[in-house]
Amino acid sequence: MSPLDWMVLIGTLTVIIFYGVWKSRGQRNMESYFLDNQSMPWYIILLSIIGTQASAITFISAPGQAYTDGMRFVQYYFGLPLAMVVLCITFVPIFHKLKVYTAYEFLEQRFDLKTRTLASSLFLIQRGLSTGISICAPSIILSSLLGWNLYWTNMIMGGLLIIYTVAGGTRAVAYTQTFQLAIIFGGMFLAGWMVVHLLPADIGFKQALQVSGKMDKLNVIVTKFDWQDKYNIWSGVIGGFFLALSYFGTDQSQVGRYLTAKSIKESRMGLLMNGLVKVPMQFLILLIGALVFVFYLYFRAPIFFNEAQLARVHKTEQGPALQKLEDQYNELGSLKQQQVRQLAAALETGNHAQIASAKKALQQTDDQSQEVRTEALSLIKESDPTADTNDTNYIFLHFVVNSLPKGLVGLLIAIIFLAAWGSIAAALNSLASTTVIDVYKRLYNEHASEEHYLKISKLWTLIWGVFCILVAQFAGSLGSLIEVVNVLGSWFYGVILGIFMVAFYLKRVGGTATFWAAIIGEIVVLVIYWTGTVSFLWLNAIGCMLVVLLGWIFQYFVKEKVIKEI
Amino acid sequence: MAADNLQEEKPPLFPSWGWWYVLVIAWLLLLVVLFYLFTKTFS
Repeated sequence: MSPLDWMVLIGTLTVIIFYGVWKSRGQRNMESYFLDNQSMPWYIILLSIIGTQASAITFISAPGQAYTDGMRFVQYYFGLPLAMVVLCITFVPIFHKLKVYTAYEFLEQRFDLKTRTLASSLFLIQRGLSTGISICAPSIILSSLLGWNLYWTNMIMGGLLIIYTVAGGTRAVAYTQTFQLAIIFGGMFLAGWMVVHLLPADIGFKQALQVSGKMDKLNVIVTKFDWQDKYNIWSGVIGGFFLALSYFGTDQSQVGRYLTAKSIKESRMGLLMNGLVKVPMQFLILLIGALVFVFYLYFRAPIFFNEAQLARVHKTEQGPALQKLEDQYNELGSLKQQQVRQLAAALETGNHAQIASAKKALQQTDDQSQEVRTEALSLIKESDPTADTNDTNYIFLHFVVNSLPKGLVGLLIAIIFLAAWGSIAAALNSLASTTVIDVYKRLYNEHASEEHYLKISKLWTLIWGVFCILVAQFAGSLGSLIEVVNVLGSWFYGVILGIFMVAFYLKRVGGTATFWAAIIGEIVVLVIYWTGTVSFLWLNAIGCMLVVLLGWIFQYFVKEKVIKEI
Repeated sequence: MAADNLQEEKPPLFPSWGWWYVLVIAWLLLLVVLFYLFTKTFS
């Protein structure tokens, strides 16, 4: 990075930290620290929800996903607007009515203490570990691309935000997320504009779209149903709905955002607006990736986007074989550059026969390139069996670092930090609120002063921050971190959602039945995972259904009077 | 605040929350149709 990039990067991060500290003033008790005295308007709730969900990996990985697999990943978000509607009808009124700090408090009022403690413990384990991994995932990519030390990158990625998160609690988290998102969207818009600007002079936005479409990268809607296919409209609507419902309804990192609204109306508006803007937002982020694909048809793409890994293989005995493959890949790349020009010219004339012929030639060459690349990936694995041969997360940042002008590189790197900070800060805040409200205050010290609880809340925010950085320092050796985070979530999310589903919809099932259903459900989920019976993607649905079904059955054997009117 | 009052809190722009829910679902359907046309146009 150039000195200008460093100035932009350090300047942006410093401004955010000072802004967060400035917004931290006036925290006097636990209610102001965790709920900001329930004073937030809907647009801050909206931006806070988006900032919590959109991590660094969202902005690094989504364009790479569109580059490799097209834009169909957007279908994954189709269930989210439906989940927002269900949340507004069911979850939000109850959480507001009970004036809870955390989602799990509701479970004690509906069931009992043990069910509340179980759900909050499952959340703490899952969120604590996955936040640590969320710190490490972008750090590994940045340290590999820019040659930075991984441990220091982890420290900055997960450490600096602790300053304002400890000092200002929810208020600092929400307002910095708002500021961060303004910078993130501005930077992403500039990056998208630059991709088109850097294309040859005769290729505009429309031509770039046409080329990208002809290469099947604009496949936004896939209507064919296939159990093996992760991204089609059916899995997006159904699977995405359950995932969004469990994430926004039962994960305190999200529930904690909309509980800060000054009224139920503001909570609902924030969530419904999220339902309106989330899908178009993801569409635009993915579109950048589809345009980056066109960019790399006109300009040389590396055979593997994690070039640090490539450099390591070059030093091994597989180096000469890899060099040969790279030469072959570059030759095919040159041929593709000619063919994409022919395709663009054909598209300009509108002659269907010419277009079909040019498209076929380009696709054949692209297929050959993929074959050569697959051989190179085998070589990488052969030379280093622990290497991650999925380079999707490196594609967009490779473009940023190697193709964007000075200054903008620093801004885009800053965006990765800001996106990480937004979601990590919300996670630390939710970990602290759950620890203090559901564990410390409820189980150990119920009658202390407000000042004491405020001090303890800040202390636990700090403790969780340090814990997550420690997890990040050890997470580098876990392989594909995105998958590790998803696997971790799938172990617990389904069971937690199942507990809430019973709470809301099975009024005759009580706490004891639900508690044991959740314990057995969790054990079964873990056993299914370790035996490898089904893909981890199904564990959410299995966990949720198990708790609902077992809870309903157990209720017949438990002599327990239920119903607490909520 | 009583639950009934919370339920009755009027939304902005529309007479009831049901209209907002219909809007969100209709917007999703519109996006799906537009994305489908986008896919077909450029494929």
